[in-house]
Amino acid sequence: MTMKDNNLYWIFKIRKRPFYIWLLRFLWVVWLVFWAEVALGSKAELEPKAFAISLVIFLVSFSAGLLLWVLGLRKFRKHKK
Amino acid sequence: MKRRDFFKYGLGSAGVAVSGGIGGGISEVRSVSDASYFHHPWWVREINRPKLGIDENVYSRFVARKNVFGSMAKYYGMDNLRELNRRSQEKTKKYYQENRPGYRLEDRALADAAWVISRQGGLNRGTRSWIRSFATTPEERGVDKYKADPPQAAHLIKTAARYFGAATTGVTMLDRRHIHSEERGKKIVFEKVEEPYEDDAKLVIPEKCKYAIAMTVLMPIDNIACSPTAISSAGSSMGYSRCEFLVAGLAEFIRGLGYTAIPSVNDLGSSVAIAVDSGLGELGRTNRLISPEYGPMVRLCKVLTDLPMTVDKPIDFGLMEFCKVCKRCAEACPSGCISYEDEPSFEVKGEWNNPGHKTWFEDSPKCLAYWQESTSGCSNCIAVCPWTKKDKTAIHEIVKAASAKIPALDAFFNSMDKSFGYGRQKSAEKWWKTNHFEYGIDTTQGKG
Repeated sequence: MTMKDNNLYWIFKIRKRPFYIWLLRFLWVVWLVFWAEVALGSKAELEPKAFAISLVIFLVSFSAGLLLWVLGLRKFRKHKK
Repeated sequence: MKRRDFFKYGLGSAGVAVSGGIGGGISEVRSVSDASYFHHPWWVREINRPKLGIDENVYSRFVARKNVFGSMAKYYGMDNLRELNRRSQEKTKKYYQENRPGYRLEDRALADAAWVISRQGGLNRGTRSWIRSFATTPEERGVDKYKADPPQAAHLIKTAARYFGAATTGVTMLDRRHIHSEERGKKIVFEKVEEPYEDDAKLVIPEKCKYAIAMTVLMPIDNIACSPTAISSAGSSMGYSRCEFLVAGLAEFIRGLGYTAIPSVNDLGSSVAIAVDSGLGELGRTNRLISPEYGPMVRLCKVLTDLPMTVDKPIDFGLMEFCKVCKRCAEACPSGCISYEDEPSFEVKGEWNNPGHKTWFEDSPKCLAYWQESTSGCSNCIAVCPWTKKDKTAIHEIVKAASAKIPALDAFFNSMDKSFGYGRQKSAEKWWKTNHFEYGIDTTQGKG
């Protein structure tokens, strides 16, 4: 790839990870989608407690997953240097 | 297409489209023989006999006046009844003075007004008349009466019933033991006659009326959630009024096809027993029908007819096992009329129960006494039932399916349901500020 190509394209790099990591990430996304759906549905059903609980589960799961990912990335970058 | 059928029919349609051309796909899914939109969810199992059995030696036709409404004075005693009414009136006034939400003039006016159509009918009266009111018969049109094979006739009736407001419809061969032996001071008898009739001593059902069409009508869940207030009472009355329109319309439709039709709501016989036989649901701890789609949030009605139709089978979706461990209705019942027993039994609580079938029998006079106490009726048992749900999120369908297939999870589901705050009383004041659907019901519910 030339310098000219670099100006023409966005380049995404996906780090090679073991299979189980990808499986965990997939399950995490499914888990998040599930609770987001429950939260939105409960809001539509006028069920405030169900809405609050599912929203909290969603936010905590999202933040925890994001944190783990960021920590892993930082560790990887440090290790690379 | 129903959400639950998406994968099943989505893949099926794809297969049809590939093998038989794109045009055939959708019509295959919606053909009369398939009629998937009248089927219960996949986790509901058809069975040959209702799960809570009948004692053939005991079960017989019930005298309607023995029910708690017909014999209040007998069950309470006149003095107690007067005292109950006096307390109820006192409380009503007190609640007005306190301007208590749910018991205000507008709430009570709404509850009364929602009865208005229901009040137009009674046993062989008004909208529930056993004879034709104005539908033109095939004879008058100069054509033969409607003829179709039984599956097509059943499909036709279910489509018409849905059009008139039925949430679900089932057909069964009429078990005459479900029909009251006596009502309004007259015997109800079956005779070899062409048309039903009534004279001074009896109400006559033609023997040829061998089919019973049972229907559920969805009640407005946001109203019932306000129980026990006049707003929840308005929900029940709205259900009854919609039943009235449904049975009147369906009966006239059947007469227009050239057949006999006898419409009925709570009169004439046990709608619950007929609905269980028709596969609309199972008997729950409240001794009432619980539907897999709507839980107990339904009113029932029926039409007897001689139009030959394919009959449906009773169903099992694990409700009996669920009711054994749940007991939420019994806990929420302010009168203590619902049984806490783990197992259903044949033992009745009093004359108001029709013996000979296995269930959790209720202490009806206690229930009705609380209706007076509360000044506006009560629907707590319906509101708190974990099977009472709107279907805005897929989690309810997942839980219902898992409960039907893995009864060991029932106790867990029940406690999660409580933890998530389902079944808690909603504010009657907020009800007036909510943007409701027509009739307070979401007609898309339970239909994907």
